[in-house]
Amino acid sequence: MSEKAYEVVHLDELDRFPIDEEGLLWRPVRRRLGITAFGTNAYTAEEGTERVVEEHREQDGHEELYFVASGRATFVLGDDEIDAPAGTFIHAEPGTKRGAVATEPNTTVLAIGAKPGVPHEISAWEEIFVGFGHYRKGDEDKAREHLTAFVAANDDRWQGHYNLACLEALTENRDAAIAELRRAIELEPAAKEYAAKDEDFDWLRGDPEFPA
Amino acid sequence: MSGTANVNDLALRLGGGPSWAMVRTHFDIQSFGVNAYIAEEPGIRIIDEHDELGERAGGHEELYFVSNGHAKFTVNGDEIDAPAGTFVFVRDPAAKRTAIAEEAGTTIVIAGGKPGEAFSPSPWERNAEGLVHFANEDYEQAVETYERFLSERPGDASFLYNLACAESRLGRKDEALEHLRQCVETEERFKQNAVGDPDFEAIRDEPEFSAITGQAGSAGTSS
Repeated sequence: MSEKAYEVVHLDELDRFPIDEEGLLWRPVRRRLGITAFGTNAYTAEEGTERVVEEHREQDGHEELYFVASGRATFVLGDDEIDAPAGTFIHAEPGTKRGAVATEPNTTVLAIGAKPGVPHEISAWEEIFVGFGHYRKGDEDKAREHLTAFVAANDDRWQGHYNLACLEALTENRDAAIAELRRAIELEPAAKEYAAKDEDFDWLRGDPEFPA
Repeated sequence: MSGTANVNDLALRLGGGPSWAMVRTHFDIQSFGVNAYIAEEPGIRIIDEHDELGERAGGHEELYFVSNGHAKFTVNGDEIDAPAGTFVFVRDPAAKRTAIAEEAGTTIVIAGGKPGEAFSPSPWERNAEGLVHFANEDYEQAVETYERFLSERPGDASFLYNLACAESRLGRKDEALEHLRQCVETEERFKQNAVGDPDFEAIRDEPEFSAITGQAGSAGTSS
């Protein structure tokens, strides 16, 4: 990483990684600029009907602030549905369910997050998103290369093994998928439960050695 | 608490400077700093020149995002053209940074934190509590608030400055001049702010005001 005193980038210059079937397009900001004190990313909906915030609760204790930088989106926050035009901030505590879908073309939502009371630790999912972003863009080799490198550098993080297992299952590499999923379950027993419901493993589910 | 707010609804108009949306304090965010500034007109210094060193600063790395309008940043002497959609990330706490709005309605969202440390709010942000009283034109309450802050942090230049602003608004010329003098003796940069600050209309023609400010500079941010 460069140690320049400052960095400048325009939203249009950020990478675009497709993340899910609902059109979530991840634009890595923290990763691009080398920010280490907090997490921050942008999500863009070009057509105006795509998901801009994955529906989720923060499992790792992050509080998150979303800012609708342009366009308009409908947020879910807990049990509430919120119309959020450009200029709206949405603050979500870790346990609060949140998600958003764009309602106007060229909607961009900026997300900022960190965990109170502890130094910021870069989330594992960022590199996993990059890997799967390559896969969804049709570059299986780059996806495998990226996730394999992440796993090699983070052998103790179950998320890397789990997601590499997903990729290997999706690309029908039986032995590698089973080995990576076993390692993920060894590190985090709950991964067995996740895998049992994860469509990425449908192809493997009938295999007698499938560990979930 | 989880919740929502529009940046324009949070923005407090503070004299001749930009409006300040105190986002972190509004949501009681505890893991990173976040604020927004809105310039109603072009030419307003939307980000005061500062670095992140010193007692009142947090030593933060800071991310500036121009969400609306157009700004011109200067970082360590380098000029940066920043239309809407631009991120300016200042990694080095020692880097001097500032920005001027080039369009009406220019809005900048700022997030910050100190690498490797759990977040704690920057001491300067304490001003937020007092500035609410300026926005409500409740200057008596502002005086009371800043006197309290000064009893906790004697000699803090930003508290002295804002106390002087409130006293000037109340027509308490002698007190305002004395606190402004103490302020600029502590931090000379406040001279520039004072020259263009409408809070000092009541004392601007006083010879002592000219002596304190040295008649320096152009309009600065208020309060």
